[in-house]
Amino acid sequence: MEGFFQALAAGLLIGAVYGLMCVGLGLIFGVMRVINFAHGDFMMLGMYAAFYLFTAAGIQSLFGNTVGPFVAILLAGPVLAVFGYFVHLALISRVSGTRTASLEGEGHYAQLILTLGIALILQNGGLIVFGSVLASIRTPLSSSAWELNPFLDIGIFLNKARSIDAIVSLAIMILLSLLITRTRIGKSLRAAADNPTAATYMGIDVDRAHRTAFALGCGITAIAGGLLATNYPFHPFVGLEYVIVMYAGVVLGGMGSIIGAFWGGMTIGLVQQMSTLILPTQLQNAAIFAVFLLIIFFRPQGFFGRMVERT
Amino acid sequence: MLRIEGLSAGYSAKPVLNDVSINVGAGQFVAIVGPNGAGKTTLFKTISGIVKPSGGAITFNGVDLLAVPPPQRAHLGIAHVPEGRQVFPSLTVMENLEMGAMTESGRRDWQANIERIFEWLPVLKERRDQFAGTMSGGQQQMLAIGRGLASSPKLLMLDEPSMGLAPSTADFIFERLIDIRRQSGLTMLLVEQRVAEALESADHGYVLEAGHVVLEGNNDTLRADDRVRKAYLGM
Repeated sequence: MEGFFQALAAGLLIGAVYGLMCVGLGLIFGVMRVINFAHGDFMMLGMYAAFYLFTAAGIQSLFGNTVGPFVAILLAGPVLAVFGYFVHLALISRVSGTRTASLEGEGHYAQLILTLGIALILQNGGLIVFGSVLASIRTPLSSSAWELNPFLDIGIFLNKARSIDAIVSLAIMILLSLLITRTRIGKSLRAAADNPTAATYMGIDVDRAHRTAFALGCGITAIAGGLLATNYPFHPFVGLEYVIVMYAGVVLGGMGSIIGAFWGGMTIGLVQQMSTLILPTQLQNAAIFAVFLLIIFFRPQGFFGRMVERT
Repeated sequence: MLRIEGLSAGYSAKPVLNDVSINVGAGQFVAIVGPNGAGKTTLFKTISGIVKPSGGAITFNGVDLLAVPPPQRAHLGIAHVPEGRQVFPSLTVMENLEMGAMTESGRRDWQANIERIFEWLPVLKERRDQFAGTMSGGQQQMLAIGRGLASSPKLLMLDEPSMGLAPSTADFIFERLIDIRRQSGLTMLLVEQRVAEALESADHGYVLEAGHVVLEGNNDTLRADDRVRKAYLGM
């Protein structure tokens, strides 16, 4: 029983971070309909950005070992958002958006090749620049825990770093939902996603909306990556491990649903942790995809996807 | 206000529009009628910038429209109510109207505009928090018109507002449009297959066939024309 609650808590904590990671990709897919294979590698860059901001840019000496990592992680978001902005400007915009609206397949073939190419460059470039040694953003919080006693005889340990990771993820998720649902920019992103042509008629610059979504998506996933790095070491090829989970989360949530992607990621985190109760740890990822297939079998449109769209 | 001269446009080598010239004066209600495939929707898409013309010129209030990037054209005061409504399905009615008001004038006049739109099209007020994708075709058409009006346009372009609607709904929407025009004095450019109704309410009309303007004139001239009577009015 104690094991169950412990796994549940661990699943919720890691699920919130996975959720945030998936939302970054979900935002890009939802608004642009571009399959971004390089997204895991943008996250890898986010991890290294947080790492170097913390160690080399003076944040460690300014904020200390406890608060410093989280400051660096939050700053990695804007850094990767700017990077994503220029990658879209220079590369992605050439094979997506209004330029390809009239092409067969709307440029999807070129998008696949381009984002795979970007992924390879980032991975191997990362190997050259960062080296192959495992890095991590450790804080003293990574190895200490709070003990909760929700019931008389059950004690649950919450890793402090992971708990703060989850809280930061939830806070960013709430801010993003407010941005998407309440602000003019957020609404115009959704309009551009719904119907790019009609959005143009409204005076919305669809390519600029795409660039905003791409930059936001990169920044959000970078923060999620930094948060993961407080507990998991990383290397230049770490993106490959996560990009599959990201896509599973986005599909579970419902392709195109930004909020759904968060719940997709949360589900994956929960399944991953709960599966350790009955399966060996090596089978964590197998369990994720078994549950993934099961959910997609019964609900092919995902949690929040729309089966039929009336136009 | 809108002056189209010698416009040619198409999707491939074969032009859909051939040397089309159309003039819409300030405050006018101009109808463009013609059969399916005559190029009416392509004409609107060229004005909005979705289709690039191969020749000719479009000026709007003296501005060379073809030099203006497509998303900027709405900001000049052109509202395009597209064929097939094209509302934003996952946005609510109110959010759709807000998207209409992306222009500077639309933001400035938002309060006044929204009151008038709700007065003209009360169904939008009743359903303000409903997702647009869950509404009926007629309601979506009214939303598309309301969304166009929300931008405080100088020119309202309507592409077949009656398409795919029950005749009674189409009649209702036509009556509303005529009311809106009478009360606001808005310049309107209408593309329509319901030729009789379109010509009846318009000041000036053009007949577009196979990419050419084959006839133009005020509504009496057009309705008296033998070809129009035979081909479109069934007389």
